[in-house]
Amino acid sequence: MRFNILIGGRAGQGINKVSQIVSDILTKHGYFTFNYRDYPSLIRGGHNFNVLSISDKRVGSYESELDGIIAMDEKTLLLHKNELKKNGFIIDFKEFENLGRNLNIALAGALIKIFGIEKAILVERIKQEFNNKEALDAAEKGFNKKEKKFELKKLKNNIVRMSGSQGVAEGAVNSKIDLYLSYPMTPATAVMHELAAKQIENNLVVFQPENEIAVANAGLGASFAGAKTMIGSSGGGYDLMTEALSMQGISEIPLVVYLASRPGPGTGIPTYSTQADLDVALRGGHGEFPRIVIAPGDPIECIEKTNEAFYLSEKYGALSIILSDKHLAESEFSTDRKPNKILNLEIKRKIPGEGIVKASSYEHDEFGNTTEIPAIAKKNADDRTKKYEKIKEESEKFQMIKTYGNKNAKNLIIGWGSTKTAILDAIDSIDESIENPSKGNWKFLQVLYMKPMSDEIKKEIEKADKVILIEQNVTGQLGRLIREKTGIKIKNRILKYDGKPFASDELKNDLLKIK
Amino acid sequence: MTNTDELKKKLGTKEEITWCPGCKNFLILEAVKKALAKLISEGYKHENLAMATGIGCHQKIYDYININGIYGLHGRVIPTAYGMKLGNPNLTVIGFAGDGDAYAEGMEHFIHAGRFNFDMTYIVADNQNFALTTGQATPTSQQGYKNKAEPLGEFNKPFNPIKLALACGMSFIARCDPRDINHTAEIIERAIKHKGFAYIEMMQHCLAFNIETNEEDRIMYKVDNKDGMKKAMELADEWDYNSKNGKIPIGIIYQENRKTQEDEWPQLKKLVEKKVGWKNFKK
Repeated sequence: MRFNILIGGRAGQGINKVSQIVSDILTKHGYFTFNYRDYPSLIRGGHNFNVLSISDKRVGSYESELDGIIAMDEKTLLLHKNELKKNGFIIDFKEFENLGRNLNIALAGALIKIFGIEKAILVERIKQEFNNKEALDAAEKGFNKKEKKFELKKLKNNIVRMSGSQGVAEGAVNSKIDLYLSYPMTPATAVMHELAAKQIENNLVVFQPENEIAVANAGLGASFAGAKTMIGSSGGGYDLMTEALSMQGISEIPLVVYLASRPGPGTGIPTYSTQADLDVALRGGHGEFPRIVIAPGDPIECIEKTNEAFYLSEKYGALSIILSDKHLAESEFSTDRKPNKILNLEIKRKIPGEGIVKASSYEHDEFGNTTEIPAIAKKNADDRTKKYEKIKEESEKFQMIKTYGNKNAKNLIIGWGSTKTAILDAIDSIDESIENPSKGNWKFLQVLYMKPMSDEIKKEIEKADKVILIEQNVTGQLGRLIREKTGIKIKNRILKYDGKPFASDELKNDLLKIK
Repeated sequence: MTNTDELKKKLGTKEEITWCPGCKNFLILEAVKKALAKLISEGYKHENLAMATGIGCHQKIYDYININGIYGLHGRVIPTAYGMKLGNPNLTVIGFAGDGDAYAEGMEHFIHAGRFNFDMTYIVADNQNFALTTGQATPTSQQGYKNKAEPLGEFNKPFNPIKLALACGMSFIARCDPRDINHTAEIIERAIKHKGFAYIEMMQHCLAFNIETNEEDRIMYKVDNKDGMKKAMELADEWDYNSKNGKIPIGIIYQENRKTQEDEWPQLKKLVEKKVGWKNFKK
């Protein structure tokens, strides 16, 4: 069972509130939801929409064909009516009059009725947030307006909902973060908001410096002084940070960077999604120095991998980059999986106040003082390289890759980051269709550690009959990285680079087309 | 040896000094050590002193003073230094920069420093040229200054960093002539003791490039302004960094007491009360 409901309207009308009310009720009712947010870069007006995907099983994507449309304005039907299935339903704002800002409550109420969920559950949810007569009347009006179309029975799943941004923030708090520095930039900003909202109770500081250059340099200053520090940005802001990231390499001051990418080059399409910044995550900053680049694929992995990023960075005096994108950062996922045990982080290095400590962007001797002696320069470069080997060894304790699907499947899909859940939904959909001859032929290898990279990837590729690379960029950046590490060129590629994330039904069709 | 002499010795390092013979950076180093030795003798903890430096001739001081420090990037002294304060507000942090560093590459940090008002000191060694890259013009070089990059002479009018600092709301602004080591040490000491962002413009005339600026000391005189902003603006206007005329006030040009950035954050206040940095703060 799966439903895809599009909720559209002008920015500021409250489409997110509809998603939220419906999702809250469905979560409690034991259903999995996935909410994709599509919006241009403006605050009021325009056309925004969410696609809320609902399932009795795990779901992590939307589909291109809609079961229902909730229209808060005329434009929504105009733009999306052709995406509606033959027997799909419409909840139109025109069916309701004089509800003002409570329109979204009525629309949510109408959908709850269509799903065949009891009115008492709706009323309880509305009361929780808006205990006033107008809101309750609107909910009732909406509920009474529509006929029951489905019967969503209560299920026993224990589900939590979370965005990737909330996951990164939770992972940072689990790591006992002391300081988060960031300059606002979509889609990284939500982590700043998350951490700032609870900074007093979590005993941490969220500070917004004058620009990203200041963010990165202040991050190094704070970490040097003993604060567990994370900095965050997106493409252009990250570019500004890269000189300081290079300084991290030589000074070996621990630093965790959250990089949430969006389509570039330049300003690109700021509120849409891409995986085009893997290259710059791997290589941004001059000179040769070790780094860790980890790309989680869902919010629970965001919690776990952020914690690992902090752990490795502190233990090895290294740069850790958590690579996400708009789709993972801002979509709302649901899950019944609990995160792994939290890794305990200890600062063992000496910090100012405990003696005299020096850290330098210049090549330096054991006291941190400047040197240009070739033998020391060579030794330091060798030590930095050896450090990378140790990081790789330790990373092998963690899940650097994951595999899903039939172990003996002939076809191996390779992907990373936010495409993960759409790929899983596409494979599930193939496996569920009884008549499909391709059933059981697919497995998925998710790469989480981009740097260091697992040696298992080569073995998996060599075992498979056919390998398919799926990425949301134009050049297949993970594919190039795998080729660099293994010498293997992956010829079958499904690449999407229009700013919109993969719809799982379209992805399934793309997979089945591969000969 | 007096107590201060011993402390000064402890503040030194064994590194070979590579400034040009006669460079005013030697005098700045001496004044800084003198001020720090006095502060330590008054109870400041040596291990809580920390510096951040940029890139240029000034930054060699990093190797010559035995205190905590980051030898940072060109232009980035202020964020590096205030980052240290966010990491541990109990540190006494001094930023060292040059005029290229502070007024060219790092200007976007300078103009926000007064607004943020972190409790730290910022010493800019201004020799009115990029000396370590062999003498190109900086924002404080006088018009007509011929250098290898501008053989036709510098066209652009210099700006007046003291006026800019006043406009940006810095809470302590001073100008020093390092030739007067005792006076310079006294101003550095007062800057460090000031609660808030303390900025010192250090007239570090260079002997290798833009040497005509060395004549500026003939028009210097001492001030200690206690008459507020209006008087400070007048003092700042007495010399425009361009002419050989006018008067160059040396000393404290402006000082006000207001809340520091650290005072605003309940989280940081806890660290100050417990006298620990984040590392030793139990969550």
